[in-house]
Amino acid sequence: MLIRAFALFLLALAFAPAHAQKAAILTVYTHPSFAAEWGPGPAVKEAFEQTCNCQINYVVLDSGGDILQRLRLEGKSTQADVVLGLDTATMETTRQTGLLANHETDLSALNLPINWQDPVFVPYDWGYFAFVYDTEQLPNPPKSLEALIAAPDDLKIIIQDPRTSTPGLGLLLWMRHVYGDQAAEKWAQLNGKILTTTKSWSDGYFSLFMNGEAPMILSYSTSPAYHMAVDKTDRYQAAQFEEGHYLQVEVAALVDSSDQKKLGREFLDFMLSADFQRHIPLKNVMYPATDLGDELPSVFDKLIQPEEALYFDPKTVSDNRRQWMNEWLDAMTR
Amino acid sequence: MLEVRNLVFAYPDQESPWNFHFTVEPGQCIAIHGASGSGKSTLMNLLAGFLEPQSGDILWQDESLRQRAPWQRPITSVFQEHNLFEHLNVETNIGLGIHPGLKLTSEDQQAIEQGLDSVGLEGFGKRLPGDLSGGQRQRVALLRALLRQKPILLLDEPLTGLDSDARHLLRQLLLEEKARGTLIVLASHDKEDRKLLADSVHRL
Amino acid sequence: MNNLAKRQQHGLPMPSTPGRPAPFSRPGWQLWPGLTIASALVLLSVAGLGALIWEASLPDISQLWQSRYLRTVVTFTIWQAFLSVLLSLLVAIPIARILARQPAFPGRAVLLRLMELSLVLPSIVAVSGLVSVYGRQGWLTGFSSDWLGVSWNLYGINGIVLAHVFFNAPLAARILLQAIEGAPPSQLRVAAQLGLGRWWYWRAVEWPAIKPVLPGVAALVFTLCFTSFAIVMTLGGGPAATTIEVAIYQSLRFEFDSGQAALLAMVQLIICGFLWWLAARRGLTASLLPDRRVASHRTKAGSSLQARLADGTVLGLFVLFLVMPLLAILTRGLPGMGSAFFPQGSFSVNPALLDATVRSLAIALPAGLMSVCAALLILASGTTSKRPAITRLTDVAAYLPLIIPPLVLGTGLFLLFRPSLGSSSEGLVLVTLINAMMALPFVLQMLKGPLGSLDSASRQQADQLGVLGWYRWRWLHWPRMRKPLALAMAYGTGLSLGDFGVIALFGTPGQPTLPVLLYQQLGSYRMDAAAATGLWLVLLLLVLFSVFNRLGSPLHKTGLATTSPRRVPEPEHA
Repeated sequence: MLIRAFALFLLALAFAPAHAQKAAILTVYTHPSFAAEWGPGPAVKEAFEQTCNCQINYVVLDSGGDILQRLRLEGKSTQADVVLGLDTATMETTRQTGLLANHETDLSALNLPINWQDPVFVPYDWGYFAFVYDTEQLPNPPKSLEALIAAPDDLKIIIQDPRTSTPGLGLLLWMRHVYGDQAAEKWAQLNGKILTTTKSWSDGYFSLFMNGEAPMILSYSTSPAYHMAVDKTDRYQAAQFEEGHYLQVEVAALVDSSDQKKLGREFLDFMLSADFQRHIPLKNVMYPATDLGDELPSVFDKLIQPEEALYFDPKTVSDNRRQWMNEWLDAMTR
Repeated sequence: MLEVRNLVFAYPDQESPWNFHFTVEPGQCIAIHGASGSGKSTLMNLLAGFLEPQSGDILWQDESLRQRAPWQRPITSVFQEHNLFEHLNVETNIGLGIHPGLKLTSEDQQAIEQGLDSVGLEGFGKRLPGDLSGGQRQRVALLRALLRQKPILLLDEPLTGLDSDARHLLRQLLLEEKARGTLIVLASHDKEDRKLLADSVHRL
Repeated sequence: MNNLAKRQQHGLPMPSTPGRPAPFSRPGWQLWPGLTIASALVLLSVAGLGALIWEASLPDISQLWQSRYLRTVVTFTIWQAFLSVLLSLLVAIPIARILARQPAFPGRAVLLRLMELSLVLPSIVAVSGLVSVYGRQGWLTGFSSDWLGVSWNLYGINGIVLAHVFFNAPLAARILLQAIEGAPPSQLRVAAQLGLGRWWYWRAVEWPAIKPVLPGVAALVFTLCFTSFAIVMTLGGGPAATTIEVAIYQSLRFEFDSGQAALLAMVQLIICGFLWWLAARRGLTASLLPDRRVASHRTKAGSSLQARLADGTVLGLFVLFLVMPLLAILTRGLPGMGSAFFPQGSFSVNPALLDATVRSLAIALPAGLMSVCAALLILASGTTSKRPAITRLTDVAAYLPLIIPPLVLGTGLFLLFRPSLGSSSEGLVLVTLINAMMALPFVLQMLKGPLGSLDSASRQQADQLGVLGWYRWRWLHWPRMRKPLALAMAYGTGLSLGDFGVIALFGTPGQPTLPVLLYQQLGSYRMDAAAATGLWLVLLLLVLFSVFNRLGSPLHKTGLATTSPRRVPEPEHA
């Protein structure tokens, strides 16, 4: 009896994919928080599948870096039709693989702090890097990067490592943008305040910041939105810095070897529609790439509004990253 | 006839190798006599196939045994100790001698039970070897060897260290076995054992 | 043969004669499957490295000593691993001695389960626990600076070493305890008769017992610390605390410099490989992981009240060290547990958590089983073959998954399995396979000792009786190996249950396993839910270890079929 049930179960498993193959399948490589049950992934999938006779199949990779690495390894034989979850730091390297196709999406609806005209990458959300602080531990956070650097060393901050994490790299670029060639010196001054440099954002936020280890952590300006909207607490806020904040844009692109290019382009177009974008603010906790008007949750009005968006062209980043990284390492280990 | 023909063996750091040479007829018992370290146990291990000789041969009914694995030889052995699997009970220990996968028929089971009775171990089937005395363990080991019905029986100090009752019983069993035509190779320090059982003596 | 006819006349009933030879008794069965697996492992590792070098030719090796960065990375990696080993052993040796001296006290079994647990805890959960005890705002930090005037800074080399001791000292103590318990009973009796004092007992019994395994334990702990990654970064304080594994990750994931990754991987391989070679040369890897054999005679050495009090104090401190972070995980996870189990006020498990649990078990249990089977086959071929080359191959294969950076191994596997990736069920099968492989070194170590412990007398007996192949396994190994096998299954399953790396590396369909769920929750600011998932994972691991421990103890011990392995052969000095 048990064996029979098991055999039936196996049979069902064997036929399940075969059955699903009737409709066209769009394979999307993405990262875990996008595809999470409560992330934008499932909602977007449902909305898009209603407009097309197709099915979205997410393949979840650890990070943007992994998506790129996977794409490089698979080359032209990749199953991916669309890659979603790269950002301005990994964009250029991905472009250089030559594995991506132009999008043909109308970018006029974009509502980013910068002008975006890239032929390959379509942004789907954006945000600023910022230091999030615990108002109970730190009622008066520094008002500028300069003030943070000049603060006494008993103000502790948690940052992420630019060698292994996106926000970490963001801070590196932020410092570079503000201080240019003086960045290394400023890093050396900042060093005494850095409690630790974690591998990933999650390690720092969960293990350290939420345990109260330091009152400030490198994060996103949108982080408080989640705490305010879902956790219903104003305790965690982002500190607004006078010099401006470094911008991160998350992008998607079409894979050149895809046999579902038409569908893929439809998906990229759909990405800039309200049906996709409305899931971004609270489910991805970032700014939507288009103007959502009244649909933007009200907590977003309470977030900091940086006066200037700091941004390096992806090409500049890709050309200089290694050198800037080495300067940073030097300054930090001296 | 068992013929041990110029069987040569030496351990790696041994200066002069041993050379064994003798013959025995079925139904006969040969006693191997020599001081300790004279190669008695080595000879037993060579016959059983646990050691490989450097040269020479072992013939049984004119057929060479040298190339045969221990389990393919017409031989069964009982040593002074460590004859039983300590983690398995008496029944299982004996049963594995009859069928190596313990696939026993009801006759086999009966044979084990009656065998235990005949060596005075009635009802000991479920005990573990560790719960038995030295004499009781040797009786189990010998019973297993006998039930295996191999034509050659190797005994290496089987009665050493046993009390006189056990010694007496086992000697009787061995005499009976010899009478049935089993060939026995006996290594023993004990003069009385040799006198009682052996038909010939081979000195090392 | 008239021999038989005569026997019947004499009244001894005649047993039936044996039929076919034992199943799987041909030597090939013991050699080839294991050899195939071992070669596949070596091949995969070579393929992984090869693929990286293929992508970008090997960079200038001289940068290893010319680049200050790489030089400091290598030195730091060795230094922190060395310190961690030293401290782990300094903690483990007294604990093992005390546990051996005190064979029965309430909670001993639970303590052993907890000690087994520490190795398989997901690092992010464990680090969170450690931070809430020893961090700047930690309980202990607050207590000691308020009451004792002592304060410390967790971040830096001390934090790294503390975490490594937390992960590895219990494991090391567990192995050493087994070694001490395995001391020959005769030796223990003599020691007891002589009434040896502590120092002489150590000299005469304990040290000789642990000496053979100590270098192996040290090599194991060293390798684990050497390849440590997230812990080193989280607690290390800054980029000065960078291990080779971090640099490999950086090269592969951020700089796409495969050549440098390959170079670093080779450095790692050479250093750890050399260490294992040293340990193996001294014949010490015999039975590295706890096989939970209980010696039949336990004699206590010098158990005066004072001595017992001292033992109790040291053990109590160790228990605190081990349990406090776990309690922190508990308290942090409890609030989230509420919404995981009582979403609408009444009891019902959150479907996402339940699904993830089922999915995790569906991967981890087969992975555990596979690694146990693979380990047995590899061990069989290693011991069957008389050729040293083959024995060496199986030894090497056993440790490779421990030393080769997962990213490198992943790349190799990926290139091999490339065509079949992507679709969900195949992806999960692959993840299972790799998890099984990553668990192999531990599982193998756990089974190696017990499998080899069959004494030569038993082996010869079995040879003569023809108890070979399957029969030998069934009647000689299985009854003795129930416990080690159960523990090996627990480790194999536990390691893949807590695994995040492999599954993240290969990509999964949308449905997460427990660790992936945990990271997804983290990535979306669901900190309470993540803490609850972490707690749930720890509880699941604890249950898993207890269940396997129970399965390893036979329920009844009479009859032909089940016999008690509790009894260890005692020397039969008549």
